Amino acid sequence: MTYDEFLAGDPVVVTAALTGGVHGKEANPNLPETPEEIGRAAAAAAAAGAAVVHVHARKPNGERSFATERFQAIDDEIRARADDVVIQHSTGGTGAPDDVRHQPLRTDPPPEMASLDMGPLNRYRHLTSENTRALVDSLYDEMRERGVKPELEVFNDGHLNEAHQFLDRRDVDAPVYATLIFGPGTLTRPRPRNLLNLVSNLPAGAQFNTLGFGRHQLPLATLGLLLGGHVRVGLEDNVYYERGELATSNAQLVERIVRVADELGRPVATPAQAREILGL
Amino acid sequence: MTCPHLEYRTDGDGQSFDTARAYCGVTESFVQPMRADVCNDRYDFNHAAHCEVFLEHEAAGGGDGGTNTETQEKRGSGPDREGEES
Repeated sequence: MTYDEFLAGDPVVVTAALTGGVHGKEANPNLPETPEEIGRAAAAAAAAGAAVVHVHARKPNGERSFATERFQAIDDEIRARADDVVIQHSTGGTGAPDDVRHQPLRTDPPPEMASLDMGPLNRYRHLTSENTRALVDSLYDEMRERGVKPELEVFNDGHLNEAHQFLDRRDVDAPVYATLIFGPGTLTRPRPRNLLNLVSNLPAGAQFNTLGFGRHQLPLATLGLLLGGHVRVGLEDNVYYERGELATSNAQLVERIVRVADELGRPVATPAQAREILGL
Repeated sequence: MTCPHLEYRTDGDGQSFDTARAYCGVTESFVQPMRADVCNDRYDFNHAAHCEVFLEHEAAGGGDGGTNTETQEKRGSGPDREGEES
């Protein structure tokens, strides 16, 4: 994907990351946590232009859940309100045992897509999410068995090396889909030149998605649009609409990037177009 | 064993919730859901090894449980957005 795709006006796939697994309503009371809240948020995001919704599960008190049953309840709520949107489950989970990390893949039907973290990342002061190569392969093998498209999550330059090595180890149906992630800590430093560099080093034929945390969400997504890529926004990655002003909903963040895409001449992909673009 | 500073509350730090949520008695704020797993020693977590709030509080001599120290940064609330796992 390049500037040529932007000039050609290729459709952009907008992903809404609705909930996440780190912060919750204590950070923004508008962040959806229950299955019903997530279902409603997904429908609103889809109506605003999101073709894909990225899903994490929570317990009733907002704490993390990896249980298949909890993901099933969320998917049921989403499909009852937005039956066409592409559902993408998270398989992330700092500190969770490897077998627990597989549980989000076991809904009926399985999600059309699932995240696949490409390597380790530090958390807080004393924690690391390991994401060993063995776990990456194991999660992917179950995804392939269940017909789930992997979304390769590239948190930094080293993870792009890991992605190339992963593709040497496993056959992944084209197109490879990689999310390039920018933010603090272990993540790629959020600077435009770093997005340019990562894009130029993607596996051949890969589609890319741009994910910037916090205040970097909008500018890096905009640059991603200019480079012919896809974009992810949502309260998982950014609880603010602008400095000091909490976002009122996931849909509000989707609406903004859809307006930008429209101004730049990138039509927003429908779920059907997203399925074609991503090879679902 | 869960952290001795962990409480479940519906109100605190200027916030109110329908369902009781994890609350840190040291920082006097609600805890991020991921941190709540550390507070509860779930999975491979151990609050005495993995929670910097607990460790710093202990090091400051606050091991008698629940007393706020002015030097503690409020780490329990708000997205630190560091290494969000997607």
